[in-house]
This record gives sequence, structure tokens and C-alpha cells, in this order.
Amino acid sequence: MKRKNALALVCAILAVSAVFAGGGSDGKKSDGKIILKMGDNLPDRKNGYGAVIETINTEFKAIHPEVEIVTESYQDQPWQEKVKIYATANQLPDVLKYWSFGGMMKPLIDAGLVEKMKIADFKSYGYMAGSLEGNVFDNELYGIPISGDMWVVYVNKGLFKKAGVPVPTTWDEIIASAPKFKAIGVTPMVTNGKEGWPLCELFDNISQRINGDFKRVDSAINRKAKYTDPDFVQAAAYMQKLVKAGVFQENLSTSDYGDARNMFGQERAAMYMMGSWEMSLATDQNFSEPFRNNLDVIKFPVVKGGKGSADDVLAWFGGNYIISSTSKHKDIAYEYVKYLGKRFGEIAWETQACFPAQKVTPRANDTVVSKKLLQIAADAKSTSGTPGLDRSDSVFKEDHQELIRQLCALMITPEEFAKKLDASAARAATQE
Amino acid sequence: MNSLFNNKKVVALLVLPGLCVMLFAIAAPLVISVIFSFVKWAGFGKIRFIGFGNYARLIKDEVFWRSLINVLALILVTVFIQNVFAFFIASMMTKLSGGLSRVLRTIYFIPATLSLVVVTRLWVNIFHPDYGVLNKILRLIGAGDAAKAWLGNPDTALWAVIWIMIWQGFGWALLFFYGGLMTVPKELEEAAIVDGANRGQLYMHVVLPYMMPVVQSIVIIDVISSMKQMEMAYLSTEGGPGNTTQFIALYLYQRAFKYSEYGYGNAISVLFVIIAVGLTLVIQRMFRKSVDQI
Repeated sequence: MKRKNALALVCAILAVSAVFAGGGSDGKKSDGKIILKMGDNLPDRKNGYGAVIETINTEFKAIHPEVEIVTESYQDQPWQEKVKIYATANQLPDVLKYWSFGGMMKPLIDAGLVEKMKIADFKSYGYMAGSLEGNVFDNELYGIPISGDMWVVYVNKGLFKKAGVPVPTTWDEIIASAPKFKAIGVTPMVTNGKEGWPLCELFDNISQRINGDFKRVDSAINRKAKYTDPDFVQAAAYMQKLVKAGVFQENLSTSDYGDARNMFGQERAAMYMMGSWEMSLATDQNFSEPFRNNLDVIKFPVVKGGKGSADDVLAWFGGNYIISSTSKHKDIAYEYVKYLGKRFGEIAWETQACFPAQKVTPRANDTVVSKKLLQIAADAKSTSGTPGLDRSDSVFKEDHQELIRQLCALMITPEEFAKKLDASAARAATQE
Repeated sequence: MNSLFNNKKVVALLVLPGLCVMLFAIAAPLVISVIFSFVKWAGFGKIRFIGFGNYARLIKDEVFWRSLINVLALILVTVFIQNVFAFFIASMMTKLSGGLSRVLRTIYFIPATLSLVVVTRLWVNIFHPDYGVLNKILRLIGAGDAAKAWLGNPDTALWAVIWIMIWQGFGWALLFFYGGLMTVPKELEEAAIVDGANRGQLYMHVVLPYMMPVVQSIVIIDVISSMKQMEMAYLSTEGGPGNTTQFIALYLYQRAFKYSEYGYGNAISVLFVIIAVGLTLVIQRMFRKSVDQI
């Protein structure tokens, strides 16, 4: 009987062992190499931003042969969701790309998930005024900025010529040109409507073009103004006017980043409303040479009769790199971030991948797009700072994105949009 | 060895690991979900107990009810359209030669073998208003007025998403029905025909009642998979435009990880489990009644 029980016990132990087999990891491979886990929103590793990071990774690994870098990449929104999932599971990658906006960074910092950095370590890397400071919370630096972002409109000059349309300076001109583009089988303008945030940028920018003041958005968030005020309702109505005039792609509210970008790159759309980080379109080998030669960029157009000018620029320092406080390799992660800060600006400008957060030296062989972007930045009389949707909590951000999608799908009136957005801002203002 | 397995203690001991896994994988997450449904929490950072606050909010949440209605629409379409069609095709296939039937079954089952991402991207491209094949065909046959942004239009988005879902699931339904039909004894069918039953009566009074356990399984699987539906809506429309294609599982995920309302997401999941279990019990009872009547 004893033997039977012993046998049964062994069976049970084996069964349990089999089920729970596996083990933890100390973040090292069997050959002793340190695995530095990284995550970002740059799935294209051969062009633009992603290629810059890959170059930096290669250089860093040459300096630190004991390190192996494992990266996972998703598009913007899926990456933001993934970060929240990792944060919930306390499994953030060692180094990750995130955003310095208070609404996004502060919760991670408050939860003790982000490692502090020393601002003195980055002062000599030529960062533009205010860019490093955007990553300072409670007098501590928690991340380094990557890019200086401006909201602009990319244009395909070839398609404008084909449609017999002059490059626009006002939204009214764009509305008037829509039938001409459609007559040649081209969508006038595309953007990523599925994720909502580009439409929120459009709303902020149209509002400014109407009321002449970027600070109105901040006032609405801080409850000194209301989203139901006439200028915001007018901006919402103007956006519906653009949709009804057929300015955007028909599936605006479900068209994602890749869809919109490809529509423009494959010359199915004449304009692409997006941030300055898309300046690498000019060197993107995935698109044809005629497209790249026809590519240009213009200032965000004005609204006829509005108070805002084309030199008021919706611009911010958004993307940053942070280190997880749960990282098993904080020292090497910090070394990596320092190297990234040192090299990113140089390589990004050299390869014309994006508009870095560091000062750049214009060169004769810069692309037309990068020259124009530099000019837009130089001409700027006022800038917005953090976009409205990122100035509050995550619920407000998602509400903003959802409501703007409904507005652009013509499912709600401008008044309903303003009322619901204002209610969300009011709710967020009462949160701790 | 036989006597060893006759020992109840031994059997209990051997069952224990599996039971532990069951508890670990099902009961524990459920209990944790219930606990978290009473808090306001982003998933990290400060946590605050708010009692039934999340549930009180959930009852008034229009998007939640909208997503539940969408799930019910998916269940109805799956059960009463997809399954009827699958049953019809399966019964036709039982009359075909073995080789032809095998080829057709393989063809019908191909969508089920493809990854959800591939299938969804495929249909997103077909439905695309600009370069989609569907609109191109409509324009080619002179029905250009009917061309639209199928997934971007609030009037058509839900049906377009449901179409993608049932297109992928059709192969499974067909396979189940085919398998069920093949188990119906030939003598039973022949006896019914000898007794004067026409084709309709044969299926209504002999074949279907015989297959009722199979039908019950299919319907329960349909209900559960409809309730769990998330990936295809996420990949095609992300619940939009304006939550018209929102489904409970997707809404739960978005609330927890987009809105950073982890507690609220858990409240949705708890109600979700209750509804799913309730619906399954109702269906089982309905089938038990119908089987008893037979």
C-alpha cells in the first residue's frame, strides 16, 4: 500500500511539474549576452525613423558586443495600448519609445515605472530649447525627446498640375478644388481617420485658424473656456463642411495610417495631412521616383475670414525615449539612451528621416520637403505646444478621438460634438 | 496497475494537477476580475475602491448595450443565416461523389484555415471605397450609385464586419453539419421515404431531430464565438464609425487598455461572463425541451 501511495505521489509530482514547467529569465541569453528589450511605434525598419534606430542599434552593439537588442514595433495606437498592457503586467521593455505629453507620461511616472535620468548628461547634444524640459516632471528628467513635430499638409505637385489646381493657401481653395481632383480620379486629401488623433489635430488647428489663438484649447481643458463656445462649434461645423465637400477619402473614419499613407504615396491622393515626421516620404524607396520628385509640403492652410495665420504652427515635442524602472539592465539601458541622444539628431538629418528635436544644419542636398519644413519652422510666429487631446487624462483623449470620428462620419452635429467633448473635459477636470 | 487506478485517493491525486490548472486558469482570473471590478484603477498606479460604481455606470453605458445588440445581431445572423446555408450546402454535398465532395469541403474550409489578420485585411481591401474590388464590380455593371465605403459608412459597417466574420466561420459550420449528416443512418431515411415522406418532411422530422445534439453544439459554439468576437472588428474598424461595429469583447479591451479604465473593463468582463453563461444555459434548456418533445 505504501508503495502504491509513493507511486501515486511521484505521478502527481510529475504531472504538476510538467504543467508548471518553465522558468524565469534574468534577461540574459545562454551565451551570457545581455538582452536589451526595446519597444517602439516604428514598424518600418528600412525607412525613416525606424532605419535611424536600426543604425544606432548596430553602432551601439559594435561598441557593446555583450549586448543583444530585441525590438518589438507596432503602429502608434496599438503601441500605446501595448505599453499600458505591459505596465499593468509590470513588464515594460528596458527602453521604449513613448510620448512626453503629461496625460501619457505622468501616470507611468506616478506609478514608479519610469527611471530618472540626469539632464546634465544630455545638455551637450544640441537639443532645441524646451525639448528636454518637456520631459521634466517634478524637477526630474524622465525621458529624452526625439523629434520636433509640426502639423502640415504634404502635396503632390504633379497631381495639382494634372487637375489644373493651384497649390492652396486656404481651406476654401481646397474645398473648391475637390471636384477637380475627383474628375481625374484622385482623392483630394487623405489622413489617418481610424485612429482619430489626426482629426483631433485638425480640429485644434481649424479652431486656431478661426479664433486666432492656440491657447483657447488649453483654456477649454482647464475650464476657463468651454468647448461649447461659438469658435469651437464653428470649427466642428467647418470640419463637417470639409467632409461634406468630399475633401477627404470616403472611408475617413476607418482608414488607418498605412492606408492613408499608401494612398498618397501611390498617387491616388493629392494631399496628405500629417506631421513633419513624414518628411522621409521624400526618400522612401517604397514609392516611385516621380512621386518623390513631385512631393512638396505646405503650411496648414488658413480659414477665410478667420483670425489665425499660416505662420501659427501646431507644433510640439512629442516622441521620447524612456527607461523602465523595472529593467534588469538599467545601466546599459542608460548607456543606450545616452548614445541615442548623441546620435539620433545627426543620423536623422543626414538620412532626412525626420525633423529631430536637436538643432540641425541645413545642407545644399537636403530634400525639398526638409528645406520647406525648416522654413515653416523659421517662419513660425506662434506654436501650440502639446495637442489638446494629450493635455488631459486618457479618458478625455479617447473621448476626443471617438467624438471626432463620429463628427467626421456625420453621425453627430457640431453642437452635439461640442457638448459631449465639453462634458468629457469637465469630467476630466474634476479627477484627482 | 489496474488496482492502483481503482484507488479513489490515487485517482483524486492524479486529477489534482488538472484541477489546479483549471482553478488557476479559469476560477482565479474570474475571482480577480470580480475584485478589480469594484475599483477605479488604470492598471498601474493609484487604486481606489468604488464599490458598485463601475456597475452603476455600466448599466447606463449606451456603448455597452450597443455592443451587446451587435453581438446578438451576429448570433442571429450566424445561427439563422450562416447555419441554414451551411446545412443546405452540407446536405447537397452528402449526395455528391466522395472525390467531388472532398474537393468542395476543402474549398469551403480554406477561409477557416487562414489567419484572422489575413482574412480581415483581405476583406478590408475588397470593401475599400477607392481601390476595392466590390465597388469596381458595381461600377463595371452600371451600379456605381450603390458603391460606397462599406466599412466607413454607419449604415453598412456592421453588416460588412459581420460578413467578414461569417465568411471565415462558414467552413466550420459546414464541416460540423456534414459530419452530422453522415451519421444519420441510411435505413432511417429509407424507412421515412417508404412511409411516404417527401424531402422536406424527411429533413424536418427525421434528419434534423436525429442531428439535434450536433445542432445544439453548433449553436452553443456560435453563441460563444460571437460573444468573444473581437479581433476582426478591431482589425477592420476598431468598433467605428461611431461604435456602430462595437462588440463586447472589443469594448472591454478598449476600456481597459485604451481608456486606462482597468476597473471598468473588469466590470464589463464580469457582466459579459454572466450574460454568456446565462445565454448558454437558456439555449441548452431550449434544446433539452425540443429533444424531449422528439
